[in-house]
Amino acid sequence: MNENIFTTVCPGCSIACGMYVREKDDGTIDIDWRKDAVVNAGKLCRFGVRLSANLKNATSRVDGNEVEFSDAVTAAGKAIGDGAAFVSVGNTTCEEHLALMKLAESKGAVVNTGMGAFASIPAECHPTMGVGVPLDAIESAKKIVLFIDPYEQYPLLVRRILAAKKNGATVTAVGWKAVSLADENKTIDPANYGSELALDSDSVIIAEINPSTDPDRVMVLLNLAKATGAAIMFMKPFVNAVGCDLASKKTEQKSLDQIIAEINDGKIKTLVCLDSDLIEIMPDETAVREALGKLDNLIVITSRASAITDVAKIVVATEPLYKKAGTVVNAEGRVLVGSGDGTDGIDAVGTLIGQPADLFTELNSAVLATLGIDVVDERVVPAYEKPEYGAMDANPTADAVETALVYAGGPFFWNGIVDDNDFVEMNLDMVTANSLLKGIPVKITSDKGEVVIKYKVSDVAPGVVLSNVKLPMTTGMATSVTVSR
Amino acid sequence: MDIGDCYVGWATDEDIRTRGASGGLVTAMLAAALEKGLVEAVVVLKKLGEFEAVPIVTSDPEEVKAAAGSMHSVPIVLSRYLDYGTKVALPAKPCDARATIEQAKRQQVDIDTTYIVGLNCGGTMHPAVTRKMLETVYKLDPEEIAGEEIDKGKLIFETKDGEEHAIKIDELEEEGYGRRESCQYCAVNIPTMADIACGNWGVVGDLAGKGTFVEINTEKGIKILQNAIDAGAVEITPADDKGKAIRAKVDGAMMKVAAAADEKYLAPIEGSHLDYYMNALADCINCGACKAVCPVCACGEGAKCTEFSSAADTYKMSLFHLVRFVHLMDSCIGCGQCTDVCPVDISLTHIYQRFARPMQEEFEYKPGMDMTTPPFFGVDLLEEGE
Repeated sequence: MNENIFTTVCPGCSIACGMYVREKDDGTIDIDWRKDAVVNAGKLCRFGVRLSANLKNATSRVDGNEVEFSDAVTAAGKAIGDGAAFVSVGNTTCEEHLALMKLAESKGAVVNTGMGAFASIPAECHPTMGVGVPLDAIESAKKIVLFIDPYEQYPLLVRRILAAKKNGATVTAVGWKAVSLADENKTIDPANYGSELALDSDSVIIAEINPSTDPDRVMVLLNLAKATGAAIMFMKPFVNAVGCDLASKKTEQKSLDQIIAEINDGKIKTLVCLDSDLIEIMPDETAVREALGKLDNLIVITSRASAITDVAKIVVATEPLYKKAGTVVNAEGRVLVGSGDGTDGIDAVGTLIGQPADLFTELNSAVLATLGIDVVDERVVPAYEKPEYGAMDANPTADAVETALVYAGGPFFWNGIVDDNDFVEMNLDMVTANSLLKGIPVKITSDKGEVVIKYKVSDVAPGVVLSNVKLPMTTGMATSVTVSR
Repeated sequence: MDIGDCYVGWATDEDIRTRGASGGLVTAMLAAALEKGLVEAVVVLKKLGEFEAVPIVTSDPEEVKAAAGSMHSVPIVLSRYLDYGTKVALPAKPCDARATIEQAKRQQVDIDTTYIVGLNCGGTMHPAVTRKMLETVYKLDPEEIAGEEIDKGKLIFETKDGEEHAIKIDELEEEGYGRRESCQYCAVNIPTMADIACGNWGVVGDLAGKGTFVEINTEKGIKILQNAIDAGAVEITPADDKGKAIRAKVDGAMMKVAAAADEKYLAPIEGSHLDYYMNALADCINCGACKAVCPVCACGEGAKCTEFSSAADTYKMSLFHLVRFVHLMDSCIGCGQCTDVCPVDISLTHIYQRFARPMQEEFEYKPGMDMTTPPFFGVDLLEEGE
C-alpha cells in the first residue's frame, strides 16, 4: 500500500499550472494541489481538477491490434520514410519535441508546430509572439486589454486580472462575449484599436494564438503593441507550445490547414503526430478525418488515448506527461520541470534514429542552451530577447456573417472533451427573434448539417452563437449557421 | 494508563528524537504501530518543499521515520487518502481530526480501525503567502529558511546560518500575511476529539523542547501509546500539574485571539445580503475544486450540489454554491481548504461559516468533535425565540 507523488504541470493550457499527481500501486491516479507552485499557488481550473477522470493513457497498437511498445516502435521505423510530415503542437516536453526534430531532420523534414500565424508572420516578430510577460506583471499593469475570455479560455488568468484591478488597473475586453470582470466591454473595428483603447507602456494586451488564428489579427495586435509601447502576451492552448516553438528555432513550418491540404493533394502520404490530435484541434472534424483516411501511414506517438489513436495505423504509447523527464516552458516563458523521469517517447525516437541510449541527456542540454540557462529554477523567468519589428500591413478576415457559430476555445475544447460545456450561448435578442423557448434545446443548422443542443442566454455579441464544445456541423472556428426552434 | 491521563513522552531512538519535533514521540508511535502490526498503513506528511508537505499513505516504517519533523503546513484532507476499513494511523491537526470524524459519520472512514494521533495547532500558513511574506516583510530569501515556530505571539523563522527572525503575528496578519484567515478565527487548538492529543505546550523544565505532552482521549489512544511503549520505541513520564496548567493557559490565550479574529472576519453583513453573496461569487469559474477538497463532503459525483446545477443555467449565483452552503451547515468545520484552492480567490470558507455558524450554535452542535450525528433540520428554529 504505497503511493507515488509526481510534481508536474497541468497539461490543459500554456499557463502550465503546478500540481501533484498521486499514483497508487494499482495505477489509478488522483490530483493534488501544489500550493507552493509559483505559477498558480496550487489553484486549478475545472480541467485540472478533473484531470484524473479525463486522462486516458494510450495503448501501443499496430493496425488496430494491441502490441508491445517495442513492436510499435519497430513498425513505426519501417513506416516512416523520406517525405513524411511531422507535427508536434506542444503537448509534450521540449526534449521529446527535439527528439522528433532529430528524426524529422534525418528524413529531410521539419517538425511543424501547426501554428499558422508563425508560418506567415516575419521571424523577427516570433519572440514577441512566443513568450509573453510574467504573470506578476499582469498584476502590476495599469491597463489590461483582453482579446480573450479569461473565464472560459484561460481561467487561471482571472485571479491575476482581479489582483490588477485591486491594484488600480482598468480592464477592457474586446471579444464575442462580455467579460464580467472588465470595466468596459467593447466591440471595436481593428482599424480603430489604437484610438479607442488608449494604451501606453503600462498596459498589457492579452490575446491568443491557436492553430486556427488568422495571422492578420495577430499582426494587427503586434502593430498595436508596437505603436503604443504596451506589453503583449499571446496565450496558447497547448501546455508547452512556447517551449516547442523555442526549440523549433524558427524552421520553415506549415500550418495545420496546409498539412491537411497537402494530404488531400497526395503530397503527404505519411504523417507522424507527437501528442497532437488533429481531429480534436482542428474545427472541421469531418474534413480532418477524411484527410487522415487518405494517408498510407498515420503514426501517432502519444501519451494520451484520443480520437486520433482510434484511427492511426501505428500508435506508439508513451508515459503520461506527469511521468516524463524534461522541461516545459509556459506562456510567460517560465521553465518548469517535474519529478518524472520517464523517457519512453525519447527512447522510441532514439531507436528510430539509431541512438537508443543517453539521448535525453543530450537533448536536455540542448534545451537549456537554447533557453540560455544552466539549471532550471521555476522561480526565475529567463531573460528573452525580443527584437524590434516593423509595422505590418494587416487585413483581418471580416467576421461579418449574419449568424455565426463561433468556437470560444478552452482546455476542454482543445482536448476534445465534453464536460459541462455541452451547450451554446447566445444573447436574448437572438433567442426572442427565433422564438426559442426556455428549457427547450435550439436547432443550429449549417450547410453541413444540424445539431440540437441546450442553450444559455448570455451577453454575447449580436449574431454570435458561442460554443465551447466541438459540433459536427462546423467548417471553421466561425461557421455561418441559422438558428431555429 | 487511563483515558484522561497526561504524560510527557519521547522517542527512544536518538535519530528520531533529534529529527522529530518535540522529542519525536509522534513519529516513533506511528512507526511502532506499523512495525507491531497494530495498523497496516500510516499517513505521513512528505515534505516536497520548504513550505509544503503532502500526505502519503505508506506501509513502510522507514518512510514514517524519514518523515520526522514538522512545519506549519497548509491543512490536508487526510480522509481523502484512506480506504474504508484500512487499519490506519494518522497524525492530525484539530481540523484534520474533525474532518476524519465527519467522514466516519458518513461511512467514508471506519472510525474503529482509524487511530487519530492529534497534534496541537495554533494555525497554519499558505506556502505561497509565506514565501511572499519572507521576501517582502522579513526581507529573507525563502530558500535560506531552516525552520519556523510560533512562540509568545511571534512568528519566528530560523535561517540556515542559525539566526532567528521574529515578528509579531498580529502585525503580520494586519498586513494580510501570517496564518490563513480560517486559522485566525479557529478556536480549536488542542485536538481533544482525537484518540490522543500531542504537542509541546505544557512541556516544562529539563524536558522542554525534548518531549511531547500527551493526553489520552480514548481506548484507541491508550492502545497506540502502549503499543509504542511495549515496542521500546517510546518512553513516558506523568505530566505534572504545572505543565497541565501551562498547556491550558496557552490554549485559553489562543482562544481569546481567535475570538477577536472571529469578530473581525465574521462581522454581520452590512447592506443587502443578496448583493453581498452575488458579488462574492461573481467570478466563480465552476471548477468544482471547493467540493473536491472539502473534507466533510461525502456525496461523490452524484451530489445534490452538482445534480441541481448546470453551467448552462443563467443564474447569477450557481445552484452548486447555494446547495452547498445549505448542505454543509451541519458539517462545515471551517478548515479553509475551499478558500485555499479557489482559483479566483473567493473567501469561500468565510461564506460557508456564515451559513454554518448560526445553525451550529442554534443546535449547540459542533461538527467533528465526537461521533454524535447532526441534528435534524425538521426542527423549527424559531420555536423558542418566538
